[in-house]
Formats: sequence, C-alpha cells, structure tokens
Amino acid sequence: MGWAPRFREAALAAIVVIALAFPLIGFETNDFGHGFDTRFSWVAIAGGAAFAGKLLLGLVPRRFYLRQRAARHTALPEGKAIPIAAAAVAVFAVLLPVLPFSSRALVDLATVSLIYIILGWGLNIVVGLAGLLNLGYAAFYAVGAYSFALAAQWYGLSFWEMLPLAGLIAALSGILLGLPVLRLRGDYLAIVTLGFGEIVRIVLNNWSQVTGGPNGVNDIPRPTFLGMPIAARAPDGVTTFNQFFGMPYDPMQRVVYLYYVCLAAALLINWFSLRIRRLPVGRAWEALREDEIACRALGLNPTTIKLSAFAISAMIGGFAGVFFAARAGFVSPESFTFQESATILAIVVLGGMGSQLGIVLAGVVLATLPEFGRELAQFRMLLFGAAMVAIMIWRPRGFFTVRAPSVRLNGKS
Amino acid sequence: MSQQALLSVENLSMRFGGVVAVDGVSFVAYARDITAIIGPNGAGKTTVFNCLTGFYRPSSGRLVLAQDGKTFQLERLQGFRIARDAGVTRTFQNVRLFAGMTVLENLVVAQHATLTRASFYNLGGLIGLKSYRAAERAAIEKAREWLDLIGLADRADEAAGNLPYGAQRRLEIVRAMCTDPRLLCVDEPAAGLNPHESAELARFLVSIRDRFGVAILLIEHDMSVVMGISDHVIVLNYGQKIADGPPREVRRDPAVIKAYLGEEE
Repeated sequence: MGWAPRFREAALAAIVVIALAFPLIGFETNDFGHGFDTRFSWVAIAGGAAFAGKLLLGLVPRRFYLRQRAARHTALPEGKAIPIAAAAVAVFAVLLPVLPFSSRALVDLATVSLIYIILGWGLNIVVGLAGLLNLGYAAFYAVGAYSFALAAQWYGLSFWEMLPLAGLIAALSGILLGLPVLRLRGDYLAIVTLGFGEIVRIVLNNWSQVTGGPNGVNDIPRPTFLGMPIAARAPDGVTTFNQFFGMPYDPMQRVVYLYYVCLAAALLINWFSLRIRRLPVGRAWEALREDEIACRALGLNPTTIKLSAFAISAMIGGFAGVFFAARAGFVSPESFTFQESATILAIVVLGGMGSQLGIVLAGVVLATLPEFGRELAQFRMLLFGAAMVAIMIWRPRGFFTVRAPSVRLNGKS
Repeated sequence: MSQQALLSVENLSMRFGGVVAVDGVSFVAYARDITAIIGPNGAGKTTVFNCLTGFYRPSSGRLVLAQDGKTFQLERLQGFRIARDAGVTRTFQNVRLFAGMTVLENLVVAQHATLTRASFYNLGGLIGLKSYRAAERAAIEKAREWLDLIGLADRADEAAGNLPYGAQRRLEIVRAMCTDPRLLCVDEPAAGLNPHESAELARFLVSIRDRFGVAILLIEHDMSVVMGISDHVIVLNYGQKIADGPPREVRRDPAVIKAYLGEEE
C-alpha cells in the first residue's frame, strides 16, 4: 500500500473519531453558570491520536495480523486433551477449599462461579444445542430463587424440600414460555424471550403483597446438613452440625458446605448434560438447530423437542436460582435484570456453543472479572468490553470450538 | 408386476391466493413402483410433494395412503406424523442435511422414533438401560450398512456439511431410508450432478427399491434418469395433469411434446 491511501485511511479514521468525540468529549456539564463547558482541545487530541494510530498500524506487516479461525463445520475427532483437562478442573474444584491459599472470599467467589457455570450449562441446552436464542434466561433463575424464597417465607419449607420443587416450577414456567413461541425462530424468538424475562422481573417488582416488591425476601434459610443447621446457635431441641461433630462453629463451614453442595449439583448437571446429548432427545435438539424442516420430514415432532429443551433448560436455571437464594440469604428483583440474562448468554457464546468445558472457563472468567476489576471501578465495563472484543477476534466461535460427535462409527465411541 | 395402489391422490388442488399451483390432479402410485412426476418449471411438482409430506395443507382433494390394511389420510395428519406413522419421507431440492452433525449422526437421528421407544422416552437411556445401549448399537449397525452401500463408511465421523455435493445427495436419500418408509419422495435428486453421477444415482434408486421394496415418487428434470428407471410417469403442466402412463407412451404423447417443445404455428 502506498502512502496516499494510508493517509486517506488515517484521515478517515480521524474524522470518524472527531465526529464521535465532538458530542461525547467536547462538552462537559458543570453546576454553575451556563450549564456546560467546552473542551474541544480534547477532541483534537483524540482525532490526532486516531490519525497517528491508524498510520502506525498501517506499518505493521500483514503477517502479524490477527487471523480469524472460523471454519464452518468442525466436528473433529477429539483427542484425550479435553477429558484430561476436564478431570483436572474437577479435581481442582474438589480440593479448592483445603488448598493453602484458599479463603472465605475465594470459596464464596468460587460458589458464584459455580452458579454461573450451572446457568451456562442450562442455557446451553436451549441456545447451544437446540439453537433457540433465549434472551430472558434470568427469568427462570428468578423463578427458582423466588420459589424457594417464598415457600420458605410462607410455608417454612427448607432448602432440600424446595430444591426439586423449585426445579419443577421453573420447568413448568419454561413450558409456559415455550408454548406461545413454538412457531418463532431467530430474532422474533429472541424478542419474545426478552419480553418474558422483563415480565417476570416486573411482576416480582410490583406484586408487593406476595413478593415483597423491590424490597425482596429476607432471611432465606441456609441448606442444612442431614437436617442439622450449620449455625452458631440452634433453636431448642435441634442439634447443630458443629455440636454433632464436636467442632467449634466457624462461618467458613457454612460457605464451604454451600460450595460443595453447588459443586455436587454442578457435577450432576454436567453428567446429565453429557448423557442427554447421546440420547434421542439430545440428538433431536441438535438436529432441530441444524434444520427444523428436515426434522419434520423425518418424523421428529418439533413441538415436543422444543418444549423439552425449554423445560430442561429452565429446570437447571431454577436449580441455580435456589443456590443463589441460599447463598445470599436474600433475593430481590434487581438480581434478575436483562444484564443477568446477557451475562449468561455471554458465557455460552464465549465458551463455544455446546462445549461443557468452554462454559466452565467462560463462567469462571465472567464471574471473577468484575471482582478483579473492582479497584478499577469506572474502567470495569471498558475492561469487560475489551475482553469480549478480543475473544471474538481470536476465537469467534468461542474458547472451545470442537464438537464431539455423540456417536462414532470408526474408532472409540 | 402386482399393481397394488399405495398412494391415491384424488382431485388435489392447492391455491395460493389467486394462484392455482395444483389444479385437480389425481393419480395413483403403486407399491414397489418408481413413479416419476415431470413437467416444465412451475408446473406444480414440488407443490404436490409439499402437500403430500404435510408442508402445505391442500385447498381441496384427498391423499390416501393404504398399506397393510391401514389407511392414512395424509391431508389430515400433522407433518411429522406423515413421516413417523404413515411412512412417507422425502428429500429436498436443495439438500437439507444436518450439516454440523456427523454423517453417522444424521442417520441415527432419522431412527429417532425407534430409539425413543427403546429408551423408554429417554428415561431408560438416562439411567443407562442395557436395552437402550443395544438399540443404539443396532441403529449404528443399520447406519453402517447404508453407509457401506453409498461408500461413505470411512467418512462416517465427519461433519455432513463437509461432504462433496454428490455424496450429500446420496446421504440425504439414505437418511430418509433410515426411517423405514413405505413411500420415498425424492425431489430432483440428479440436480447439479454430472451425467456419470446421474446414471449412478438412477441405479442406486432402483437398487434400494428392489432391496427394500419401497415405493419411490420421483421429481426429476433429467429425462435420461426418468425414462430409464420409472415404471410410471405423470406429466404436469400449469398445475394440471396432462399425461399419465408408462415412459414409452408418455414420451410419444402429443400433449407432452407440446408442453415441453411448444406447438408449431
């Protein structure tokens, strides 16, 4: 490329930056006088920086460019690398609370990560396997959390009683969402699911007599250990976990216990997800993602396939909601905004659609990134955005793009 | 040849607003026959297919499938039931494989109904019942036999979308056959194939008819394929049937010649 086109491109970049910066950076509001100050020198600096940057970037030889790896179909025979990595992650997760550098904050953060991973795996069934875009997944998370919170408040039901029930209620709400959207696909489906997510949140926010409105629900019971509470003091006639084992009470015990409960649930859900992919219904989900019309021509009933995907995905979201409520001891509608749905979707997309291990990685990254960025408060979203852009350039189809076939003819099955 | 009627199309009409795509067409497809539907572009061939396989609901007329003493009225069945219960499957003009899934998976998905039953609606499979594992092995074995037949066994674990076009066409036919259909509807299977591949495909269709006793309904523009393998040819033009009979007769029919070549002034 000669110098003339380079200058032209750089000038174009500078013009775009100046046009954008003029309203955004060029004016600053103040509390006195006419209401705003101008700072056009900053705009000029931004434009100059864009010009120089673009010019310098043009000097970088082409071979250093980031190349997108975007093969359309990658059903490669996979080696042993992924099972070994998965086993290593599982062992690390089991040992985490007893490792020397472990702390209460770390285990708590790990619990949050686990909840996000469970949510990622749940959403993956609908988005990654069945190919139905759901932008309102936080609704099922909310249904699970509120089912537990309200049942505990009104009927005094415990964590272990409500865990299966909340999953069931969430699954029913999944079918409730699934029924009207059976005929929708792509963008239209996304809009309806987005609306569903908002409906659930707004109902929770406004139905104050039942849900407590914006104040939420307090004093959600913690999970017990075989019926024994893990607490400093217990009501009369109840033995606490600590008394039974003759250990002094430590708040860490509660955190670690919830962590292990979540870990066990996560491992179980992982096993379930891997297994269901090899069952007729799992393969039907993937076939539906690939081509719904061909599914119908082969005698697969799209209605049951879609509803089963919605129901099972919602059920897993409901479980995650129960863990969330048990961890925080408090739920409010604020925790189930669109931001939450978007984060869960980001986990699925970043992880690589349909990849269990990729979702673990993405779930940990997205759950911990805000924590690491806390000192950088106002740059947090910038960091987050930059990380997303970088990942999408390097790995446009997610961290793990390899799809393991559900059955094999040649070689191991 | 025993002439047992498998599919009777009676007075089928399909209107889209003011456009009459199919206008009172009647014909019979016999068991174990290859019945070809031909006609110029826009004659309504694919519309007939779409009515048969439940993608359109006919404006009027009856589609009766009779076999083993059971009759199905296809125009009243839901789309997926036509394939699952009545045993009518189809392929598409523009191949519709599950491109991101492997070749083998495409064939296993086609055996969904059998596997679902064997897994007790997936629950038995979830807890790892032996009977489901055996059924899955049987499904894979069946897929292997079909893949051997079309020479794709060594590519079974590759993504179906990565196969060359001709192989995708064959795979789509085989996938439809994995549902154990009574009637296989093939929409322009030779489109985009070279003459050598077309001839091979024609032989393949005859061989699956002979081996599995399936009736085939064929839409095709390639006359060498149609005239070579059909037992029975139906000619449509502007939505109406203009000829019906064995290939020899249809080829000489003045109405057909007129439809294809135009009329001398």
